[in-house]
Amino acid sequence: MNILIVDDSEDQLLVLKSILNAEGYRNIHLAESAEKAFEFLGLEGKKKKNDIDLILMDVTMPGINGIEACGKIKKEESLRDIPIIMVTALREETHLQSAFHAGAMDYIKKPINKIELLARVHSALRLKRETDSRKEREREIMEMAEELDAANKQLTRMSYMDGLTAVPNRRYYEEFFTREWKNAIRDDGCISLIMFDIDYFKAYNDTYGHLNGDDCLKKIAITLSKALKRPRDFLCRYGGEEFIAVLPGTDKKGALEVANRFLRETEKLKIKHRTSSAGKNVTISIGVATAKPGRREKSSSLVNKADEALYQAKQSGRDCVKVVSGNN
Amino acid sequence: MAEEKWDEKIKVYVPEYAIKLIPNFIKNREKDIKNIEDSLKKEDFEIIERIGHSMKGSGAIYGFDRLSEVGKLLEESAKNKNLGEIKNNLEELKNYMGRIEILHE
Repeated sequence: MNILIVDDSEDQLLVLKSILNAEGYRNIHLAESAEKAFEFLGLEGKKKKNDIDLILMDVTMPGINGIEACGKIKKEESLRDIPIIMVTALREETHLQSAFHAGAMDYIKKPINKIELLARVHSALRLKRETDSRKEREREIMEMAEELDAANKQLTRMSYMDGLTAVPNRRYYEEFFTREWKNAIRDDGCISLIMFDIDYFKAYNDTYGHLNGDDCLKKIAITLSKALKRPRDFLCRYGGEEFIAVLPGTDKKGALEVANRFLRETEKLKIKHRTSSAGKNVTISIGVATAKPGRREKSSSLVNKADEALYQAKQSGRDCVKVVSGNN
Repeated sequence: MAEEKWDEKIKVYVPEYAIKLIPNFIKNREKDIKNIEDSLKKEDFEIIERIGHSMKGSGAIYGFDRLSEVGKLLEESAKNKNLGEIKNNLEELKNYMGRIEILHE
């Protein structure tokens, strides 16, 4: 461990170094003034900082005295943990209070007694070692907590996301639709669902293969989730080639607008589908349902209506929108 | 100490850890004596006080207990700007340094 001795007396510096060396402390550094000590510690100038585990500081020195120096070192974040033992002649004992106030951990009276010096140095270094290892453990725990937190966030994201299309999945839908349904009841507002699926998707897969089928699902999912403009709107993959969009605070007119936008955006993608009976390109059928829910109403009733509307769209030749209204 | 003859050798037992440092330590005391003499002429009490203070702090740990005592007296007399006392203490210091016999503990 590294010990820095600060004293204006050369004799004192050399004898303390000799005592500590004889005891097996190999890395002893000497500074003959507080200013030199600051330089050594990297407090002044841009010199490389030295790692020090203990400072023995003389109180009475010309220039900056030991108490001021102690205060200055303790104010520096990176040096704060270095224990400082003040070395002082008897009659300076009145200064001790200010030394402790400045952050000194201990003091030794001059003339120095070898046994007392070694005992105090030993216990100060033990304290420093314990502080260092505690800090290290704290740092490790902090790092682990951060990693865990990041992993948890990642897991949450993944558990709410559809792996193929990267839009929210059915689990997300269940949680957030229920939440928005309750909001609508509380706010006495309306809420709409747009349920749609890709027409003749089984035929598409049979014709172009499953990889192209996946690609088609991705394009539709990404394009139509971008077609939602309001921040609380969201599109989810409901299952297979079926999707559902939740539009909080949106009435029938607004929902129809979005549904027609979905039709147009799908059309614009111009994904070839030669085995479709609804057109040359991939099309979708859409069912819209709107409700202004009352307290006793279940959210599943709106899903059922959207499903019914989607069924009607399929019956009406596909590539179109049908609406089943709720209680208004 | 009072019963010692004025020119008798004074035995100083130096602890193991300080043995190698003794030549330098003695040289520093010679410098101190010269400094005190110069400062006396200029009546620079502050320097004498500082020298006395350092001597007080480091004498005993080298085994020179008497040096710590003289250092203390020098520091005090310089603080009181007492020229006569300073001169007495300086004489005592010179006398002491002239009579020491270094022994290993």
